[in-house]
Amino acid sequence: MLFSQVSLFTSCNFDSSKTKFSDYYFDYFDTVTTITAYMETEEEFKAVCEDVKAELNEYHKLYDIYFRYDNLNNICVINQLTDGKHNVVKVDKKIIDLLLYSKEMYELTNGKINVAMGSVLSIWHKYRNSGLSDPGKAELPPIEKLQEANKYVDFNKVIIDEENSTVFLSDPEMTLDVGAIAKGYAVERIAMALTEKGVTDVLLNVGGNVRTIGMGKDNEPWKVGIENPNLEKQEEIPHIEYLKISDMSLVTSGSYQRFYEVDGKSYHHIIDPNTLYPGEKYLSVSVLTNHSGLGDALSTSLFLMDIEEGKKLVESLENVEAMWVTTDGEQIYSDGFSDYTFEYKTN
Amino acid sequence: MSNKKKIKNDIILAVIVLVIAAGGILLLNIFRTEGAFAVVKIDGAEAERYPLSVNTEAVIETGDNKEFKNTLVIEDGKAFIRDANCPDKICEGHNKISYKGETIVCLPHKVVIEIVAEDTADDLDVVV
Repeated sequence: MLFSQVSLFTSCNFDSSKTKFSDYYFDYFDTVTTITAYMETEEEFKAVCEDVKAELNEYHKLYDIYFRYDNLNNICVINQLTDGKHNVVKVDKKIIDLLLYSKEMYELTNGKINVAMGSVLSIWHKYRNSGLSDPGKAELPPIEKLQEANKYVDFNKVIIDEENSTVFLSDPEMTLDVGAIAKGYAVERIAMALTEKGVTDVLLNVGGNVRTIGMGKDNEPWKVGIENPNLEKQEEIPHIEYLKISDMSLVTSGSYQRFYEVDGKSYHHIIDPNTLYPGEKYLSVSVLTNHSGLGDALSTSLFLMDIEEGKKLVESLENVEAMWVTTDGEQIYSDGFSDYTFEYKTN
Repeated sequence: MSNKKKIKNDIILAVIVLVIAAGGILLLNIFRTEGAFAVVKIDGAEAERYPLSVNTEAVIETGDNKEFKNTLVIEDGKAFIRDANCPDKICEGHNKISYKGETIVCLPHKVVIEIVAEDTADDLDVVV
């Protein structure tokens, strides 16, 4: 309801004096953040940027699984302290909210999104990083090692106490990896906070996790292109679809985004909880939603599901559309996806 | 047809050819001045911009001692990173860009190459 009121307001406000501003940041969620906005003054834009930067910084630190910060109980602390002896960790409500949302997504996606898979994902992370820094010696993690780690991934052993704002991993071998969901969830929360403050006509793009607020140029919906996930054909066909969206999120999970090569074959970062190996059904899945956290979780989980199962899941949800690109390059759409696409002439 | 008339027709033809040629040159110039640029941003701030209409090669140096390098090449209206000494080389692997809104990002060096151009009705806001 709030969204429609906001857009009604802006569409009455025919103001061609708005200028396009954009800014880039490199310090959050191991990716690049772009803020684009149509605003009247640069001061106005800078104030929004400072606001978004402060929030990104806070979420980044809280949801960081690799580093600890002074006087901050973040997810890294939960992973390190909860060794079966230290019992519970008192955390910020933003972490509790993320974990409760992760639980919701775990149930919705039939376990495809499981933030308790840290033990398995950290092995892939280690092998990918050493493979990238020394490509000649790149190796795949042995399946035995992955299977051993996979014994400690039961999400039900993440004990979330909402009332006392504490987290406890009752399995001492377990670690959390919120990589498939934290970024999108944080972007959504930041977008909601901006909307509450009455800020509009802003596009947040945190490493391909796009959330639009209000309208783009000339009070028209934002125009977003989707990159061709087939890297070899990108030069010939750089984009595979064009969308017009407002107050919506677009998230793409793709095999081309984060990967390394072993013996000439590339292995990406989206790990199937069943096979413990990267999913091989698609090149990418793009998801349109009105919630960037849902979009983030869905794009990852749809990437790992059969097309029938995925389509069923999308159809069961309101305001969700998806586009799958199979490994053969075929584009498969959910029923309502075309409501948002448009023909774009590149010249 | 008299000789006079022939000359007159020749003159008309010549004028038409000249007008078309002048118009063409004018149009070309308009497109050139309004053409697209590859903008180099370092840590978010614009450092340099190169027109896509001119083949160029430039080394983007970043870091306290200019130790981080990305070689930007503009060729046939498209921009790409030919080589870089960053650890992940993702920027090197990126396809050539030429459409407004497209970017190449080198996260380790905090470098972004972005295609910008004069506003037209149909611009993309972002490509992901």
